[in-house]
Amino acid sequence: GRERLEQKAFHLCSLKKIWGRPSFDIMEGSNTDKISGGDAQKKAKKEKPANFVIPPKKPKLSKAERRALQEQQRAAKAQRQGQPTDKSSGKTQGKQQNTTSPVSNKNQEQNKTSAAPTQRSEVLAVNADGTKDPKQISVLAHLPPFRDPKDKPDELLGVQLKSSNIREQLHPEILQTGRAYATGIICHSNPRCRAMLKAMDAAIQDCVPDDSINDIKDFRHTWVNKVLKPSFQFFTEDCRPHSVGMGNAFTFLKSAIGALDRDMELPKAKALLSESIDAYLQERIDYADLAIAKHACEKIVDDDVILTFGHSEAVRAVLVEAAKAKQFRVIVCDARPLLTGKDMLLDLRQASLNCTYIYLNALSFVMKDVTKVFLGAEALMSDGSVLGLLGTACVALASQSVPVLVCSETYKISNRIQLESITNNEIGNPSHVLEGPLGDNLRVMSLTYDLTPASFVSGIITEMGILPPTSVAVLSMEMDPQQ
Amino acid sequence: MVEGAPATAEKSLVLADLKENLTHGTVLNDKNAVAMPVAAMNALLGVVQRSSANTMMGLQDELKEASQEILDWNSREGNRSNIALASGCELFLRYSTRTFLELTDFKECRAAILERGQRFAGISLAARDKIARVGHGFIRDGQIILTHGWSRVVAALLLKAAETKHFSLYILEGRPDAAGAKAAEFYSKAGIPTTVILDSAMGYVMESVDSVLIGAEGVVENGGIVNKIGTYALSICARAHDKPVYVAAESYKFARLYPLNQKDLPPTKSVALKFIDTTQDTNAVVSVLPEIKVDQPPGDYTPAKFITLLFTDLGVLTPSAVSDELIRLYQ
Repeated sequence: GRERLEQKAFHLCSLKKIWGRPSFDIMEGSNTDKISGGDAQKKAKKEKPANFVIPPKKPKLSKAERRALQEQQRAAKAQRQGQPTDKSSGKTQGKQQNTTSPVSNKNQEQNKTSAAPTQRSEVLAVNADGTKDPKQISVLAHLPPFRDPKDKPDELLGVQLKSSNIREQLHPEILQTGRAYATGIICHSNPRCRAMLKAMDAAIQDCVPDDSINDIKDFRHTWVNKVLKPSFQFFTEDCRPHSVGMGNAFTFLKSAIGALDRDMELPKAKALLSESIDAYLQERIDYADLAIAKHACEKIVDDDVILTFGHSEAVRAVLVEAAKAKQFRVIVCDARPLLTGKDMLLDLRQASLNCTYIYLNALSFVMKDVTKVFLGAEALMSDGSVLGLLGTACVALASQSVPVLVCSETYKISNRIQLESITNNEIGNPSHVLEGPLGDNLRVMSLTYDLTPASFVSGIITEMGILPPTSVAVLSMEMDPQQ
Repeated sequence: MVEGAPATAEKSLVLADLKENLTHGTVLNDKNAVAMPVAAMNALLGVVQRSSANTMMGLQDELKEASQEILDWNSREGNRSNIALASGCELFLRYSTRTFLELTDFKECRAAILERGQRFAGISLAARDKIARVGHGFIRDGQIILTHGWSRVVAALLLKAAETKHFSLYILEGRPDAAGAKAAEFYSKAGIPTTVILDSAMGYVMESVDSVLIGAEGVVENGGIVNKIGTYALSICARAHDKPVYVAAESYKFARLYPLNQKDLPPTKSVALKFIDTTQDTNAVVSVLPEIKVDQPPGDYTPAKFITLLFTDLGVLTPSAVSDELIRLYQ
């Protein structure tokens, strides 16, 4: 009846105020009457059953009072959820931040004018001990927070035999690889994918059928559900969010296991799977890089000045191959905090290439000499946008007067589309950007990837040849028809 | 390989076939004349018919040799457009040898290849009519269309449009081969009011035209085109004035090239230039000292972003759809 209407309207009004939409007055009931049909409502009132109890009318609150009440309820809820158990602390913390911060954020900002005008801090994430984390940034609140491996060292090392928790039965190679991910020893798409597949291969090789499980006799099911999925979950949730290439490789691994014959003997199945994994790594990464180099070499001519950014295995293969037949020089552009360009520089110098090394801020200075740009990619989106390490989009934007070529293997093609860099990214280590204690009013934004729109890219070089960015979707359908 | 004599005999047969197919349609300038790539495809069909090979690889080798011979002949003759010829031959090869994946018996295969090849050649011949059908609707009554160079596809399209609509044409004169001037005569005889203008006047007229319609010597993988010199400047000019640029091209012109800039095109022979001052009554030739370099590339590359739509026998495509078609054709 009227009370429900009131409550709904109150809810809607407060939501609209939060999201800044112009609020129209529902309380008068005019619109909803028209929507539901005035007659129908009157009919409903008449047909109420006899024992229908009308609850007492709630007192009408003013706007400030309603806001105060809402804030009270939210704080109470946050308090309740701010005491999680040890194991699931990370997860609930993440979820907690996701659900409460965007909404409570804006509300708090509006509240502060009436409530506490001196306090400018925003209500943000809640730590394990219930205190609020002032270091998180609202626009990145939907992303999992950065997990410093130094904070929880035992989480990545603990193994307990005969534990009922599947996560504690992980293979030592998986744990080792996970630790390498978390501490940044293994980084970039190709090495991470290789390490993941090799670790999972090792885990499967050592997998012994558990006779205590009496229901499922299918070894494939055991492998996928008891070994692979927990490992992948461990990698993604406890160590470092997975890359697109790793995700595609994992899908391949699951389908490779599914393709095995159910009645095959275990040693034979393991050997076959190992072969498939090696073939995948060889074909989709190593041979792909060689094919990319072959296609790209035709585009490099003598006296070229080639600009590249950071470290990319595909671009390295291209430049090393081209150096055998052509005379050109390379400008390696690099950016903090990872400074991956240094490794690239060393590799190119070993191939006796004439190199120049600059930081990103010197880009506009050298741009007048550049004739072509070769960039690596972490992933290719379906509309042709390129997800690359932070700084790639900058270089692509500054190079619009020359051809910009992105070199990427096809296993990195994602079936997603991303519109800009923030919806899906990875929060990096804040201390990489700024070290030392930060004051209350200073926050650090440390991202890992950025998105280069398809219109900035002249062509994408894959092992299938050079194609325009708009054709990436067709290519992914040709390469992996089952996905 | 021992077959010195039979090889050359075969080669001369191929060329004879080619020439016969070319002259099938009377005068080369005529709108009904057979396009070079289509004639080449018919010649290659002859190769398949005469072939004595017993394996797929053998047949493919023969076809490759024949294509190479045709391409060499073309460059010896000094004809310009090698791109369409090369892409037409390669597509024919692909289209017909895909049969091998489906049938295992070679004799069946060969019969199927012949049939497919004939169908492919037939499609290409009928391509012009199909393009005219899909494209003529983009010309409306009272419009002024600007065109460049002589293209039989464009001619077919404009004639079809002229059957039901009234419009007028501006044609660039088309130095150095005066192709535009020759085309103007053809259109004028067909009853379309035509104006010939200087190449350098394209900026001047652009505000008065409604759209630009051009042919293509080759369509490259990113949706750009290679065409007579001046096309690139024309499309930049059209873009600056927000006028649509339509390209009419058959699908066998889709080439597996990906030029990044003008220098990235396959090398072509430079064409001689003569300078005449026509404002003087004597029309004296202006001589140029030998130390002055006169560079005349016969063709240029227009990037995809300057092209609005392509009218092809596969339908009306946007430039980004060209690559999708190529991936399918070459898969």
